[in-house]
Amino acid sequence: MASKNIVGAVLVAGGGVAGMQAALDLANAGYYVYMVEKSLAIGGRMAQLDKTFPTNDCSMCIISPKLVEVGRHINVELLTLTDILSIEGEEGDFTVTVRKNPRYIDMSKCIACGECTKKCPKKLNNEYNESLDTRKAIYVQYAQAVPLKYGIDAKECLFITKGKCGTCKKLCPADAINYEDKAEEVTFHVGSVVLAPGFTPFKPTEFDTLRYTDVKDVITALEFERYLGATGPTMGHVIRPSDHKDPKKLAFLQCVGSREVNRASNGYCSSVCCMYAIKEALIAKEHSGGALDVSIFYMDIRTFGKDFEKYYEKAKAAGIKFVRSRIHSIQPESGGGVKLNYVTDGGASTVELFDVAVLSHGLVITPETKELAKKLSLATDCYNFAQTSTFAPVALSRPGFYACGAFTGPKDIPSSVMEASAAAAAATSKLTPARGSLTKVVKVPTPVDVSGDPPRVGVFICHCGINIASVVDVAKVVEFAKTLPFVEYASNTMFACSQDSQEKLVALIKEYGLNRIVVSACSPRTHEPLFQETLAAAGLNKYLYEMANIRNHDSWVHAGHPEEATRKAMDMTEMAVAKAVLLSPLKENVIDVDPTALVIGGGVAGLNAALTLSSQGFKSVIVEKDSKVGGNANRIHSTTKGESVADYLSDLKTKVQNDPNIELVLSSQVDKVDGYVGNFTTTLTTGQAVKHGVTIIATGAKEHKPTEYLYGENRRVVTQLELDELLKADDQNVAKAETFVFVQCVGSREPERLYCSKVCCAHTAHVAVELKKNKPQARIFVLYRDIRTYAQKEDLYKQARDLGVIFIRYDLDSKPQFSEDNKKLTVKVKDPVSGHHLIIQPDYAVLAAAIVSGRENELAMKYKVPLDEDGWFFEAHQKLRPVDFATDGMFMAGLAHYPKPMDEVVAQAQAAAARAVTVLTQPKMTVGGIVAEINQARCSGCGVCKAVCPYSAIDLDDKGKAVVNEAMCKGCGNCASSCRSDAPSLRGFTNAGLFAQIATAL
Amino acid sequence: MSEFEPKVVAFFCNWCTYGAADLAGVSRLDYPPNFRVVRLPCTGRLNPKFIMEAFKRGADGVWVSGCHPGDCHYIAGNYHARRKFVLLHSLLETIGVEPNRLRFSWISSAEANKFQAMARDVIESVRACGPNLTFRKANLQLDLAEVA
Amino acid sequence: MGNLETITQKIREKAKSLLESGQAEVVIGYRAGTIPLVAAPFFARSAADCDQLVWSSFARLNLANYLPNRTEKVALVAKGCDARSAVGQVVENQFPKENLYLLGVPCSGLVDPAQVAAKEPRPIQRATESDDAITISGQGFSVDIKKAEVLRRNCRTCAHRTPTVANELTGPEAPAAKPDDFEDLKTLLAKTPAERLNHFKDLIKDCLRCYACRNACPLCYCPVCFVDETRPQWLGKSTDPMDTMTFHLLRGLHCAGRCTACGACETACPVNIKVREFNRVLDKTVQENWAYEPGLAWEQKPPLTVFQPNDPADFIK
Repeated sequence: MASKNIVGAVLVAGGGVAGMQAALDLANAGYYVYMVEKSLAIGGRMAQLDKTFPTNDCSMCIISPKLVEVGRHINVELLTLTDILSIEGEEGDFTVTVRKNPRYIDMSKCIACGECTKKCPKKLNNEYNESLDTRKAIYVQYAQAVPLKYGIDAKECLFITKGKCGTCKKLCPADAINYEDKAEEVTFHVGSVVLAPGFTPFKPTEFDTLRYTDVKDVITALEFERYLGATGPTMGHVIRPSDHKDPKKLAFLQCVGSREVNRASNGYCSSVCCMYAIKEALIAKEHSGGALDVSIFYMDIRTFGKDFEKYYEKAKAAGIKFVRSRIHSIQPESGGGVKLNYVTDGGASTVELFDVAVLSHGLVITPETKELAKKLSLATDCYNFAQTSTFAPVALSRPGFYACGAFTGPKDIPSSVMEASAAAAAATSKLTPARGSLTKVVKVPTPVDVSGDPPRVGVFICHCGINIASVVDVAKVVEFAKTLPFVEYASNTMFACSQDSQEKLVALIKEYGLNRIVVSACSPRTHEPLFQETLAAAGLNKYLYEMANIRNHDSWVHAGHPEEATRKAMDMTEMAVAKAVLLSPLKENVIDVDPTALVIGGGVAGLNAALTLSSQGFKSVIVEKDSKVGGNANRIHSTTKGESVADYLSDLKTKVQNDPNIELVLSSQVDKVDGYVGNFTTTLTTGQAVKHGVTIIATGAKEHKPTEYLYGENRRVVTQLELDELLKADDQNVAKAETFVFVQCVGSREPERLYCSKVCCAHTAHVAVELKKNKPQARIFVLYRDIRTYAQKEDLYKQARDLGVIFIRYDLDSKPQFSEDNKKLTVKVKDPVSGHHLIIQPDYAVLAAAIVSGRENELAMKYKVPLDEDGWFFEAHQKLRPVDFATDGMFMAGLAHYPKPMDEVVAQAQAAAARAVTVLTQPKMTVGGIVAEINQARCSGCGVCKAVCPYSAIDLDDKGKAVVNEAMCKGCGNCASSCRSDAPSLRGFTNAGLFAQIATAL
Repeated sequence: MSEFEPKVVAFFCNWCTYGAADLAGVSRLDYPPNFRVVRLPCTGRLNPKFIMEAFKRGADGVWVSGCHPGDCHYIAGNYHARRKFVLLHSLLETIGVEPNRLRFSWISSAEANKFQAMARDVIESVRACGPNLTFRKANLQLDLAEVA
Repeated sequence: MGNLETITQKIREKAKSLLESGQAEVVIGYRAGTIPLVAAPFFARSAADCDQLVWSSFARLNLANYLPNRTEKVALVAKGCDARSAVGQVVENQFPKENLYLLGVPCSGLVDPAQVAAKEPRPIQRATESDDAITISGQGFSVDIKKAEVLRRNCRTCAHRTPTVANELTGPEAPAAKPDDFEDLKTLLAKTPAERLNHFKDLIKDCLRCYACRNACPLCYCPVCFVDETRPQWLGKSTDPMDTMTFHLLRGLHCAGRCTACGACETACPVNIKVREFNRVLDKTVQENWAYEPGLAWEQKPPLTVFQPNDPADFIK
């Protein structure tokens, strides 16, 4: 690199789930992050979702801890309401200029009490609820927003536009409103840029036949999602918009604005709509108690991800109807509802009435993103998605620029999160010398040892301006607090969270020798970390803190009952004091981290993971059971983008062999495993003992050996990989062949293997296209169930059809029939359109055999990580932690997790490395705090705690007694409530403390 | 006030129902001020003894609420908790604790409205049961000094 | 020779060979008790000892209770419920499986002295038995009573009289009794909560809190029991009715999914409280919700150590 200066900071543009993950991985790996978000708050589209497929997890519940983590991270600088103006320079040292648009609110003063918004006279469309209800001109984007600070819509504010009103300024108890706020240009330096600008849902306004603009009962899926959401316009109640009655029949129309080159120029598949439609259908049906009639009109159902096919089957079992028909037009019905005309599979023309038509609209790149890409000279495809290669899936066309999320193509949350981690790794591969150069470290004094001292409790009752004090008699609560046992000091405070109050708190701790602090104010979920930091700054162990939520749980909800609210505030304060008295300082211990990774599996995933780690300066040992590396990729001819896999692989091998950070152990496997995060020792079958801090499982998968279609009996019947091998070898018989039949879903999507193998449709389309290009007269038939060329791979499907490849659909109950007569292969298949049987005599029949797991039961047991019922390694969280195991220090990549194409394998490998780096980069790890401990004198060794621990953090020692590994414990307390003799105890939530709370609650 | 005002002890998990209560506050959704919340990291932390203790000390009702199945912040805590609830629920119901005195619910952090409705319903159900005179112990005091 | 004698014979023979071969260092079984209608626990350590081993309908003690913390190799004379308890203890790591030899006894149900006394109130000095009946005698009387009429309640509804897991059986499988249909509990549930509470309060009104039920229970091996806890004190030390109730409820909960209905608790109760009623409430719940019965296989996982994502729990709103 020519650049002399390497900057240890990264710009992340976009605060959606992908941007957040990238920011956290970067910041936790030792880089300072500037996160630029154009709106008031981070969270992106995911914050708008009610539930997420296929687990139906509550979206807000899973994203909000992440929001808080980003918002509070000392090395993530959040720049909201900010636009990127320019990025100059080159990888290693870019100069970024941004414009911070005015919020008109002093963020340091706003306490998000919402007083301002109450009297604001301006009612505006609420974008968070897809304009189905209203917000004010001064508003928060959504209730759980981070940063939780109000902002003024300057275009609409009466004061800013006309100089009238000014009500909010008068009402704000914190004096936070500043109508004079101005835009500000800021310049800073970064070493690289991660773009995560996300997508916008396709607006079906231009499709006049779908009547979205003029018929109320035609809505988009995101609007429907908001109706389903508990924080939506109808608080989770599904209605027919025209009359607000309960709908009885619902239709989902798939592919609105996707797979559409006539009315929109979006030839691609949006990847997520089939799944979200099924999700919304299932949830709506559930809300209705099962009574709701739901039909989904589709072209191909594309449930290709992990557990997606099961979700589809679940929907069918729940009575959701799937109709294979693309609806062209919608007609309104007088009196509400819509009429749909469609042609069924059998060719019958049908008219059906529905109460609501939901348009499953696709994902598109925003004009702003398109503009940004142009400004930054980044190559994009015809749909404005960023151009990437299979082997560097998150690297953009210009060095130093990386991308994740929908910018590289439409994708779901876990894929976005995976790419985000991958981007974090890729974006820092050239910045290693500057790691840690710009990050800040919190310096706190060593806490004073107060264990054994009698409790001296300080109680602070917050007014929160008028938020608490207008309802609760704060003075009375203070006087009451003074009477409580062990309370040395009690006082009120206007804003407990303000800077001056925090400083006063530090002074009072010292002045009165306080060793337990109780703050009666707002929610510990948002404010506990802040007060804990203050305790630490005062030299007090941060766990000697307890909070009473007398705002959210009291004054805000009992405004009409001030007396009872005051009584409740007193009780809550007493409960907090009772618990605080019993708190003990919690130790946080430091453990060493061995900065080496063990990568199990030397396929594309394993090799990439090791190379990525090496680029970050970490050593790894790759253990491969075969005598050569490369895995399945050795058999693949070319990628769906046409890149040669052999060339790539040989390049990869050379890099690995020449990399001093990588040790390759061939013909070996894991024999014995010991230890935990930071400190594993794995003994290989070669006898070599490897000490490592993290483990990446990349053991791959296998191609299923078909047991049908004359496979193994007739030499013309080959699997997809076998054909690839023939193509790779320039096989003459293949070159001479004139007729090919491809059979999809061989062994996949069957009752015994209820999942889609994800890669076959696109690979088949790609190979078919290549064959056709080489020999236009070749006759190629693809027998399929649903074509699943998701994302931009849809282009391959279209190209294949344009080149004359014939696609014939079959059903599971009428599979193609193979017969052999005098070595002549005959394939008979029923054409679902004509109903006739087609007879084909191919030179080759190519079976898209399922990808099956290696069923690595032994490995799973050795590392105490789970497999799902199909044998895939089971991640910590299907949405937000797609490469992590629940067990700390354990990661996965590649096909061991689930079948996926090579670009996704590479991304996941880079992601696993990025996640691993967040561990490896800390020479010492802090463990402890709120974790469980075992009183062994009480332990009978029955093992119930070990069985219920979700993190494998408990083991039985050589005396048969339970021990907690603090490095792995997350503090859920399952062990403590399951033990019959109370041997485990959860620090911070001890039986004694909770018992005291129960006693004082009454 | 002459009408009986029930006292209810509530056990909420930090990540879901406690969050729903926070959101109910943000949204100013009012509900009766009759219950006191014990915050737990997870419903999986809830020892059945806590519920017995609340009743013994004179609670007229107990309300336990956490993340929906599948939503647990700790992967499986609420699944294990659910099995404990099944046992405790059936045991207490059989021995004659009115079913309406003990409520279990799943409320996600986004379901402020469900929280409000449930809070109201819990208090009204307990109110209908009347004071807990039978399943309690008289004159229990907590001496913090002794335990501390 | 009757069935009982055959079993006794078989136990003695096997016990001797196990001790002689070193497969067991001790055989835990029963010998004739010193008072009528009671078989006492007996630890045979030599071939000579073995001749004292007996099998009888008075062998009510659950011998699995002697397994925890024992370091010797044990051969356990185990009727259905003892074997299930022993399996439970192995599953719960209280005894190493490799040190356990289960000498399984097909059991036909055991005699409840309280029921015998109800039929024959005169002081009993001697009791003998045949396969179907017992003969009790005392000052100036001798009475035959059909065993079926005086079986313990739990034995009348025992579905697993023959151990499902045993190294060896000492006789042919015993016919299973009609399993517990919990009819009484179902009737009880139809009553009002107040009536139910009164029923249970009445059930335990005589409880002395002596913890004999706990001590007799093969599941109660905790180093510290919740009843002895002081920080916090879950239970008052007095016999306050609410504390007593709490004790029985928590004891029941601790046994849930683990109880093999061996009846040791009731047998041990000095004031004849049907303490098992609490356990049965939970047995019913465990069976109905999770279709689980403990101690039937080594591989079983106790229901509170596992879960299914779709476990039933309709009462949760």
